[in-house]
Amino acid sequence: MRWGNALAHDIRFQWRHGFYGVYILICLLYLLLLHFVPADNQASIVVLLTFSDPSAVGLILAGGIILLEKDQGIHHHLFATPLRLQEYLIAKALSISVLSASAAWVIHGFSIGVPASPILFTLSILLSSSFFTFLSIGVVSRARSINGFILLSQVYVLPFALPLLYFFGIGREILYLIFPTHGSLLLLQSALRPLSWREIVYALAILIVWNGIAFLWAQRSFERRILLRIGERRDRR
Amino acid sequence: MIDVEQLEYSYPGTSKKTLQGIDFSIARGEVFGFLGPSGAGKSTTQKILIGALRNYTGSVRIQGQEIRHLGSDYYERIGVAFEFPNFYSKFTALENLKLFQSLYRASKDDPMDLLGKVGLDQAAHMKVSQFSKGMKMRLNFCRSILHHPDILFLDEPTSGLDPLNAKIMKDLILEQKAAGTTVLITTHNMHAAEELCDRVAFIVDGQIPLIDSPRALKLHHGQQRVRLEYTSSEEKHIEEFPTHNLGNNERFLQLIRQHPIETLHSLEATLDQIFIDVTGRTLV
Repeated sequence: MRWGNALAHDIRFQWRHGFYGVYILICLLYLLLLHFVPADNQASIVVLLTFSDPSAVGLILAGGIILLEKDQGIHHHLFATPLRLQEYLIAKALSISVLSASAAWVIHGFSIGVPASPILFTLSILLSSSFFTFLSIGVVSRARSINGFILLSQVYVLPFALPLLYFFGIGREILYLIFPTHGSLLLLQSALRPLSWREIVYALAILIVWNGIAFLWAQRSFERRILLRIGERRDRR
Repeated sequence: MIDVEQLEYSYPGTSKKTLQGIDFSIARGEVFGFLGPSGAGKSTTQKILIGALRNYTGSVRIQGQEIRHLGSDYYERIGVAFEFPNFYSKFTALENLKLFQSLYRASKDDPMDLLGKVGLDQAAHMKVSQFSKGMKMRLNFCRSILHHPDILFLDEPTSGLDPLNAKIMKDLILEQKAAGTTVLITTHNMHAAEELCDRVAFIVDGQIPLIDSPRALKLHHGQQRVRLEYTSSEEKHIEEFPTHNLGNNERFLQLIRQHPIETLHSLEATLDQIFIDVTGRTLV
């Protein structure tokens, strides 16, 4: 149960560094803003919020955590134990996804009520958040500072925001099918309209495939750009 | 326990070999020291031995098994204390130890007992960010032995410690040796190596020109003489004598009978001097 212990530690780490406190504040702010949105548009705005939020949480939290760990010089100690990189990455993705899903439920629940398809809604948030967590780990492995990370992350994330164009009625669906975020938006829209089986299978499949790709990319990036470089300067001097 | 043959390693993107074909063997329960200046290849050797760098050539076997083929279970059998004692700074000493302990299958000891052993029981609930370097080094050592490893890797274990803390650390290492643990120490501190190691390897430019016990090195490379400092007519005098047949040396016997002796030392070489003589380099 090493990954379980790593997961429990990640949750404690996020709590101790005040991430949850900040996140509760953000959720309250969202709810306050939604209060002023006209009832007709509220459902669409909630879909947008619950779409963008897991991306933001996955991206910012994962990057922040890795940068904090880097700064505290903890990685070489962690990986001189039986903990495997895969377990480490999965624990990070799970801890952040669960936080995202909780926040999404609070926002959805307190604004427009319980989602029409609770399972699809939750799966959408979990898979989107874990995808962005892995993406963020790949990006942060390439960054040396928080500023560098913020700049670089925009470059990597921007293409995945393109399906929002379709959400606003721009372009044909086929153009966006390759993006995992199109799958996320589809599942979230189950709150607004019933989805066909074909749509559900497609959305889950594209999210799972992209999670796999992002996981492998994060693993390779972390291994090459963080683990292999530990103490490198000192050794190669 | 550990057998290394013709080990070579180059970091990705560099043509220069950091390790250029080194050979050594370490027996079970031995305290073995790698001595060398910064950049000599000590830490690279250690990283290969702990399985962090696998793209080496040559052979590195632990109890007969090639290290690049060992899985994560290998880490159940080794303990590593890196030179820089880094921890989760917002967590207490006890929380840090509990986290690391939870990553091992074997570890069942109460971390409080370990903290008590290194004199940190009173600081168990302090955040590590409030610790001094000496306290962190002791906590670092605790972390490395949480799971009773068979092999312990210590990188500069006395670095930055005051004499009292350095003494505590040396005693802890000798305790591990007494318990049968194989200990590999990487250092450029000759005095620590002399006190702790059964054998030392000099490592320079990725090569090992010499491996022997500190005692044998000092005797072999030293002068077979003693130096006597004594006072006569309120003046200090120094004379040296060959150790051979010293008991029959009339001048020596006359001096120690007739004058107050201030100091009397055999002139074996220091490890620092031997290192310079053998490698032509200093340990800085």
